[in-house]
Amino acid sequence: MTATDPTTDPGMVDELLVDSAYRLFAGVCSFEAVQKAEADGWAPAIWDAVAEAGFAWIGVPDTAGGSGGTLADACAVLLAAGTHAAPIPLAETGILGGWLLAGAGLTVPDGPVSVVPGATGDSLSATLNGDGSVALAGIAARVPWARRADRIAALVGTADGPRVVSIPGGSGAVRPGTNLAGEPRDDVDLTGVTVPADSVGVPAADATADNLRLRGALSRVMLMAGALEAMSRLTVEYTEQRQQFGRPVARFQAVQQHLVWGAQDAAITKMAAQVAARDASRDFAGATFQIASARTIAEGCASTATRWAHQAHGAMGMTQEYALHHLSRRLWSWRQEWAAPNEWATRVGRMAESAGADNLFPLITG
Amino acid sequence: MAMRFTPTEMTPAERALQAEVREFLAAEMPTGDNTPGNDRALGMGAGKNKEFSKKLAERGWVGMAMPKRYGGHDRNAVDRFIVVEELLRAGAPVGYHWVSDRQTASVILKFGTDDQKERFIPPICRGELGFSIGMSEPDSGSDLASVSTRATRAEGGWLLNGTKIWTSGAHENDWFVVLCRTSPMEDGNKHQGLSQLLVDLNSEGLEKNGIPFLDGSPGFNEVVFNDVFVPDENVVGELGMGWAQNTTEMAYERGGPDRWLSAYGVVEELMRHHAGTSLEDRAAEVLGWATARFFGLHNMSFTVARMIDTGQAPSIEAALVKEMGTRFEQDVLLRLLEFVEEEPDPGSMLLYQRLLAKAILTGPSFTIRGGTVEVLRSVASKGLRA
Ligand SMILES: Cc1cc2nc3c(=O)[nH]c(=O)nc-3n(C[C@H](O)[C@H](O)[C@H](O)COP(=O)(O)OP(=O)(O)OC[C@H]3O[C@@H](n4cnc5c(N)ncnc54)[C@H](O)[C@@H]3O)c2cc1C
Repeated sequence: MTATDPTTDPGMVDELLVDSAYRLFAGVCSFEAVQKAEADGWAPAIWDAVAEAGFAWIGVPDTAGGSGGTLADACAVLLAAGTHAAPIPLAETGILGGWLLAGAGLTVPDGPVSVVPGATGDSLSATLNGDGSVALAGIAARVPWARRADRIAALVGTADGPRVVSIPGGSGAVRPGTNLAGEPRDDVDLTGVTVPADSVGVPAADATADNLRLRGALSRVMLMAGALEAMSRLTVEYTEQRQQFGRPVARFQAVQQHLVWGAQDAAITKMAAQVAARDASRDFAGATFQIASARTIAEGCASTATRWAHQAHGAMGMTQEYALHHLSRRLWSWRQEWAAPNEWATRVGRMAESAGADNLFPLITG
Repeated sequence: MAMRFTPTEMTPAERALQAEVREFLAAEMPTGDNTPGNDRALGMGAGKNKEFSKKLAERGWVGMAMPKRYGGHDRNAVDRFIVVEELLRAGAPVGYHWVSDRQTASVILKFGTDDQKERFIPPICRGELGFSIGMSEPDSGSDLASVSTRATRAEGGWLLNGTKIWTSGAHENDWFVVLCRTSPMEDGNKHQGLSQLLVDLNSEGLEKNGIPFLDGSPGFNEVVFNDVFVPDENVVGELGMGWAQNTTEMAYERGGPDRWLSAYGVVEELMRHHAGTSLEDRAAEVLGWATARFFGLHNMSFTVARMIDTGQAPSIEAALVKEMGTRFEQDVLLRLLEFVEEEPDPGSMLLYQRLLAKAILTGPSFTIRGGTVEVLRSVASKGLRA
């Protein structure tokens, strides 16, 4: 498969769109705005600007209330969002929740959407009633921005097969929680909540639980790639300015090692992320290896690069008054989202195992 | 930040080349051969096999990027990347033409005289001329510009005196490019007055002393020059411009698949050994980690080749890839030991065991040869600043 025609190749990214996304995030995600979002639990100005530009619904067909565009476009916008630590449920509204809803023929609202990620601690179960409504029970764990979402999309199993339910915001009892970056990750006790039939749909053929998990993983890969790139740049700049012993600390070889290793972590993650996004956008079912590999790379790099970046910053990196923590705390959170310990590396390993020795290299080189 | 890694992908013609090389290698190097003495190579530390080099050349896979008029094939860096990646993957015996193909032909094409191009590039492209690298000396390693091998004026040429060391393959190769001083250092400026000379490894007055490598294999040499005569026509490029030329030459060494595939054969043979039995989770996790990294590094290295073909100069990118790729090669070995239970034995009856033993014994060199990771980090960090 080779990219040739940008108008028909869904692997190609709309560069104009991505440029405007970077500009928009740079404008609205100021240090103060990201800081305030954490204190308030919501960033209305950032959300409104992003929503108005339609960025939250890229990759969701316009016929279903989305903004159109490809999965590759949506991923590129997520990468831009990661670069600026945008504190909004962008992936949840678009390629995760929006995708589930649209595929099931349900309304995609024009406000923020979240999705039930099936995190550890989740006990959500569903019963399909005779009238087509769905009765929920148990806890939907670690739902991003559940407290602010217009709708929470969940893929649930019923005796009659899987269903997508569009749970109205405010349903059930929300127990607020956050990730390490202070972004809402709420547990929602949905016991006793019944979702009416007009908010229940049969999932699209490709909307399997595994594909949702792969999409969730891909969303975190893109965000991590963006944050790693920004963190590398910030660290290079800081160490150029910070002087000790009469020269910029970046002149010390020990510090250069942190800079180079951080830049490598950023570069390999972005490379893997962009290849995965391109290939998934063309043929999602054929891109499992790329997504799982990119997720494996990103997770490791998030762990090492945050170490190098913090070390190179000294105490300055340890204060909330300096921007590094907007990136590092998100990376520490995202590396564990949509993942169990070793899940993605093991998955790649199983794919390698079933390819076998003779086909390992073809698997690697695509 | 000066890094510009943009994903690329293969055109149908490039895919076809890759398939062709795979087919050739499947026939030439059938897998599953467990006979001791027949072991596949670990990356570029491969043995020399002149017949194999010639066969490759007949396919047009040596000196690919050289112009047709010098016996090359007018192909490009990506085509060479594809061929070399497959050769290293398979552990092919690329040793004889390796240096000629990777760097010497390019240096001669870029800096050499027309006469030198006529004399040296066609036999390189035929796989018939093996080059070594004559840079390091006993007192000059990372600080290469401090070399003290010197050439003094003689009738029609130069007389060479001094000692090169760690010269890989000098005992079997034909020629090497020697970095030496052709005029004395002035005002402490060591980058001036250096030149590159083409030297026949069988010249009179040239002495080769083998130095056993850590695993006992031959390959390392000390080369001593006692008044070795080098005719004027063997000075590469401009007299005194050796340092700049040498820097360009070293850039050809970086960023390629030889910098992350050295341990690949161990992984593949380990899998072959385990075929039919299900891997434990712990092993699957390590295998997955390594496979994911191979995927990432393949794409980065591929992009470096593409950048060369589109006229960019990816020297920082190449240094970044080499620095991380060679560290990864060592990490792979360590991580395999998380689940390999047998004690490694270079004389084992099992191929993967022999390869693992060899990789452990030669592994420290991955991050030293062709410029250490410490020095590469200095190069790369300058690029990050820009
Ligand atoms: C397998 C193998 C094959 C080789 N083949 C060849 C060959 O064919 N031809 C050839 O010419 N050479 C060859 N070499 C030599 C190789 O190029 C040198 O080993 C390399 O350039 C490093 O020099 P050195 O070994 O003298 O180490 P040194 O330069 O002595 O370095 C020792 C340590 O000090 C560190 N160091 C030195 N300077 C700095 C600095 N400025 N900043 C930070 N750290 C520094 C190094 O990184 C290293 O850790 C080969 C080496 C190996 C291992």
